[in-house]
Amino acid sequence: MPGAQTFEKPERWDLPFSQDLPNPDERRDMTEHDIGRLMSIEPFCHMDPANFPDRLPLRGILANDTRIRRYNNGDVIVRQGDYGNSAFLILNGKARVILETLDPKLVGRQVTKKRTAWESLVSVITRPRMPEVRDTSKYPQGHREREQTQQRGANEVAFVQDVSNVLRVDSDLFNKARSEVMQTGQVFGELAALGRIQRSATVVADGEAVLLEIRWQGLRDLRKFDETLRKHIDDRFRKRGLAATLRAAPLLNKLTEGAVAKVAQAAIFETYGSYDWYGSYQQLRKRDEDPLKNEPVIASEGHYPNGLLIIRAGFARLSHRRGNGEQTYSYLGKGQVYGLAELAYNAKNPHKMVPLSSTLRAVGYVDVVHIPTKLFEQMILPHIPADEIPPLPAWSTTSDTPPVADNVPPARGGSAATTSSKQLNPGLTEFLVENRFINGTATMVIDLDRCTRCDDCVRACATGHTNNPRFIRHGVVFDHFMVANACMHCADPVCMIGCPTGAIHRTAEGGVVVINDVTCIGCGTCAASCPYDNIRMVDIRDEDNPDALLVDPRAGKPIAKATKCDLCNEHHGGPACQRACPHDALKRVDMRELEPHLPWLNR
Amino acid sequence: MAEPVIAITKRRALGGSLALVAIVAIGVLMLSRGLALRDTAFFSGWLLLLMCLFLALYNLRKKLTYPPLMRSATWLQLHVYVGLVSIAVFVMHSGFKWPTGAFETLLWLFYTGTAASGLLGLYITRTFPPFLTRRDEEIIFERIPRLRREVREQAEALIVESVKQADTTTLSDFYAKSLATYFATPRNYWHHVFESRVPVKRMCADLKRLDRYLCDKEKAIAAQLDELIRAKDNLDYHWAVQGTLKGWLFIHIPLTYGLLLFAVVHAVLVHAFDGSVS
Repeated sequence: MPGAQTFEKPERWDLPFSQDLPNPDERRDMTEHDIGRLMSIEPFCHMDPANFPDRLPLRGILANDTRIRRYNNGDVIVRQGDYGNSAFLILNGKARVILETLDPKLVGRQVTKKRTAWESLVSVITRPRMPEVRDTSKYPQGHREREQTQQRGANEVAFVQDVSNVLRVDSDLFNKARSEVMQTGQVFGELAALGRIQRSATVVADGEAVLLEIRWQGLRDLRKFDETLRKHIDDRFRKRGLAATLRAAPLLNKLTEGAVAKVAQAAIFETYGSYDWYGSYQQLRKRDEDPLKNEPVIASEGHYPNGLLIIRAGFARLSHRRGNGEQTYSYLGKGQVYGLAELAYNAKNPHKMVPLSSTLRAVGYVDVVHIPTKLFEQMILPHIPADEIPPLPAWSTTSDTPPVADNVPPARGGSAATTSSKQLNPGLTEFLVENRFINGTATMVIDLDRCTRCDDCVRACATGHTNNPRFIRHGVVFDHFMVANACMHCADPVCMIGCPTGAIHRTAEGGVVVINDVTCIGCGTCAASCPYDNIRMVDIRDEDNPDALLVDPRAGKPIAKATKCDLCNEHHGGPACQRACPHDALKRVDMRELEPHLPWLNR
Repeated sequence: MAEPVIAITKRRALGGSLALVAIVAIGVLMLSRGLALRDTAFFSGWLLLLMCLFLALYNLRKKLTYPPLMRSATWLQLHVYVGLVSIAVFVMHSGFKWPTGAFETLLWLFYTGTAASGLLGLYITRTFPPFLTRRDEEIIFERIPRLRREVREQAEALIVESVKQADTTTLSDFYAKSLATYFATPRNYWHHVFESRVPVKRMCADLKRLDRYLCDKEKAIAAQLDELIRAKDNLDYHWAVQGTLKGWLFIHIPLTYGLLLFAVVHAVLVHAFDGSVS
C-alpha cells in the first residue's frame, strides 16, 4: 500500500487487565503462581479447561481478564451508582456491602477529568491537519511502548475506565451505616457488569482484603464455557436483581424492611425478549416487518390484571387496540410500573372490575418483577397516596373503544391526547418506540424546520475529535424531527456485549458510553452490534507521519479503531454539537426523561 | 441536559422589545446630547463601531468550539438584535443623509451591504428550512454532485438501452435536445429558490407527449426517465436551497471584514481631523 506506515495490529490480550489501571504502582502481572492458586479454589477448581476453546483457554482468561487487587480496611471497592465493568471474587478477607445510600462525595466518586478552557483552546488550535491521527506510543504494541514496558511502573499510561479505589469511607459513617458482610469466596458486582447497569450498592473492604477483579468480558466467557458458573451467576443475578428492584421502587419505599422481604418472597422475576436483541432487530429492520409481531407480549389488553409489574431493566411498549391494529401510546422504562391504575380501581370496586387497558410488550429484552394482585392489595396499595394512583384511560371504563384522539392516555411526562407544550405528539411516541430510540439517554434530535443544514454541529464535533466528526447529520425522519446517526448512549448499550477487550465501556460517573482507543483492537464487533449504526470504524495515522495510514504488516490492512460520539466527555459545557447549533435546532434528548424537552419538541 | 426553552414567539417579543427600548434610549441620549450642544457624531460613531466589532466576534466564537463562551444560539440571538439596533444607530449616525465622497460612499455601501445581507440571511434561515423538510428526502449537500452524476449515468444508460431495444432514436433525440444539459449541471436555481415547480412539470409533460411515438418498451424506459428527471429536480432543489442557506454567508462575512477595515480607518481619520470638535 503506497504511503502507508506499518504497525502491528492490536489483539485482545495485548493489554492484560492487570496492566489496565490508572495507578502504575497498582499494575502487577498475573503470574503462573497466581493462576495456579486460582485454579485450586472455587469456582475455578470445578471448571474443566477442556470446555474452553483453544483461542480462549481458561488459564488465558485468568491471566488476561482478571487482576488481583488489595484493599485496606475501609477502602471503597465499588460505589453505588457507578457503572460497573467488572465483578469481584473475595480471595481473602471480608467486604462489607453498605445497604444505605451514602453521600457520593463521601465515597469519592471518580469524576472524569475535564480539560481546562485553555487546554481545550490549545487542542483546537494545535490539532493535526489530517483526520484520525493518534499518538501510537500509547498503544501497547507500539515500538516506543515496548521500550517503555520494560520499565513499566516508571511511566504513567492513563487508561480511563478504571475506578480509583484509594479513597476511604469515613470510619464513623462506615460503622453507623446498615451493612452486610461478605466472606471469602463470595462474588459481587456481576449484576452491574453483566447487565450494563449501575452498581446497586457501595462495597468497602472490611479489614485487609484481597479480591480478584474479573473484567466483564472474561466473566462473560467463563459463564459461556462453564455450565455450573452460568447457572450459579444466573440464579444470583435473578435473586439480587429482584431484591434490588423492590428496594429501589418508589411504591415500596414506605414499607418496612420486613414487608419488602415478604413481597420479595412472593414476587416473581420474569425476563422477556432476548438479551442480545440487536441481531434480530437489525434483521427485522431489513425485512421491514411489523415489530409488534416479534415483540413478546408481557400482558394483554382485556385480560384480568393479575399483578403489578415493575420494569427492572429494558423497555416495554404500551399499546392499545385501534381498529384492526394497535397504536403505541407510550413506553415504560426502568422503575416504572404497569397495571397500577387497574389494580387500584378493582380493589375499590370489586363488583365492577376492569380489565387491563393496554398491552405491554418487550422492546428488545425486559426484566420484570411481578407482584401478585393479592399481595399488592394487602401490602402495597394501603401505603400509596390517592394522588399517586393514575386514573384509568377513558376507554377502559366504556364498552366501545373511543376515538384515539380523545383518549390517548398519559405518556411519559404528560398526557398525549393532543399536542401542547406539556404533551408529546402520539405519532412521535410511536416513531420513537418503533425505532427503539427510547433506548437513548442522549439521542441527537434535530428539528429540521429550524436546521439550516449549515453543519456547524458537524464542524464543532470534528474540531474536538481529531478532525473527524463522530456522527453523521443524517438519519430517520418523523415529521420535522430527525434522529441523527449519533451514539445515543443507550440505557442498554448492546454495543458493549461483544467487545473482547472492554474498550467500549461506560464511564463510572454518568454512564456515558465511551471507547478506550488504547485497548480497542478494531475488531468492529461494537459497530456491527449497534442497532442504530452509530459506531464507525476508521483507519488511523501516526502523529509522527500523519500523511500515511498505519498498516498491519502481516495482514497488509490498515489499522482500524472504533469511533463514536463521546458526548465531549473530556470537555466542559456538554456536547459541542448542541452548543454549536446557531438555531437551537439540535438537542441531545434523554428518552427516559422527556418532560424537560417537551417545550422544545412542541415549540 | 435539557435547558430552559422559551417559546419562539415569546423570545421574539422579548428580543424585539429590548431592541426597541435600546433604540429609543440611544435616540433620547443623542437628542439630549444634541440639545446640550454636545457631540453626537463621535458618540454614535464609537457606539456603532463597538457594535460592529461585537457582531464580528460571532464568527470567532463559531471557530472556538470548546471554551465556555455561551451557546452559539445565544450568540446568534444577540447578533440579530444588536445588528437590528446597529441599523438604527447607523441611521442616526449618518444623520439620514446620503454619503458624500468616495470613502464615505464605500463605507456606507459596506455597512448597508452587510446589514442587508444579514437581514436576507435572517429571512432565509427562518423560511427555507421548512421547505426543505417538506421534501420527501433529506440529502447531504456534499453528496449532491456524486448523486447527480449517478442520476446522469443512469439516464444515459437508459437512452442507450432504448436505442438497442427499439432500434429508433426518438428518446435519444429528445434526450440530446432537451435533457442532456439538464442532467449535466444544476439547473433552474431561481425556480427552486422561489419554490416553483414549473420547469420539472414542463419537462415531464414534454416527455409524456412523446408517448404517441414510442413502442411499449420505450414507454417503460420513458417512465423510468421521468423518475430520473424528478430525482434530478430534487437534487437541484436541495443544491439551490441548501446552497443559498450556506452561500449567503460568503457575501455577509467578506462585507463585514471590509466594513470593519473601512470603519476603523474612518475612526482614525475622523480623530486625525477633529480640530473643530471640542
